[in-house]
Amino acid sequence: MPRRTQSGGRKNRHRPQRYKDVLHGNGGHRANDFRCAGCRLDVSLVAPGTAHRNHCPNCLTSLHVDHRIPGDRASTCHGRMEALSLTVRPDGEWMIIHQCQSCGELSANRIAGDDNMLPLMRLALRPLGAGSIASSALLTTL
Amino acid sequence: MSSDNLAHHQSTINHVLNTDTFSCVWCGLTVSAQAPDGTRRNHCPSCLHSKHVMDQIEGGPSACGSKMSPIAIAVLRTGDWMIIHRCVRCDELTSNPVSTDDNQLILMRMAVRPLAQPPFPLEAFGTL
Repeated sequence: MPRRTQSGGRKNRHRPQRYKDVLHGNGGHRANDFRCAGCRLDVSLVAPGTAHRNHCPNCLTSLHVDHRIPGDRASTCHGRMEALSLTVRPDGEWMIIHQCQSCGELSANRIAGDDNMLPLMRLALRPLGAGSIASSALLTTL
Repeated sequence: MSSDNLAHHQSTINHVLNTDTFSCVWCGLTVSAQAPDGTRRNHCPSCLHSKHVMDQIEGGPSACGSKMSPIAIAVLRTGDWMIIHRCVRCDELTSNPVSTDDNQLILMRMAVRPLAQPPFPLEAFGTL
């Protein structure tokens, strides 16, 4: 979900989303929805805030179908991709870093407007958990 | 000096003195290629930037060779932190373990960065 309030004078720097002409499912027989590989939820492809839904809004699991370019559908892996961490674009938009569970590849995906807040916050707070490097770093340097 | 004595001498030198260095592609700092725990470094400990030399998707050396900037912190199940790097030229992502002498200010800044601008109001969590 892009932020409406731009920080600083950096406006009009939005690149339009790439047009993606791919069929979901085998032969495109399920053109309007997909089933999540993690929680088996039936997910509609229409997502608020993004034109390309690529992960489940409930459990944030994705599927490894793209190779190098987003939307090329050239990967032969088709493994399950779990959300690994969060990153922030310079305009303040969150991106989820997915890691493929079968081949270990990483990919970054924009969050959608209906993504579950709870797993997103768990991802954001994971580095700050108890007993991690963060507490020792803060205690030794401050 | 006999030949095996010489070989022993050489191996001792190689073990003690590892003066292999590289200069950071981002900040220009000359850093030793060996981390304090003896493993080989792959990012600058000062600015955490790296260089795209390994192709993560197909394996082997990469033809890109561009700068990689740190974008995120990932936490393994063991609690260890990994830095996610992103190539500024070809957008490839890699993950590398943090070293003990990495800049903790930049590490913490990356870890708390998502919380500075949440995309949803955090007040909603008070009603859960």
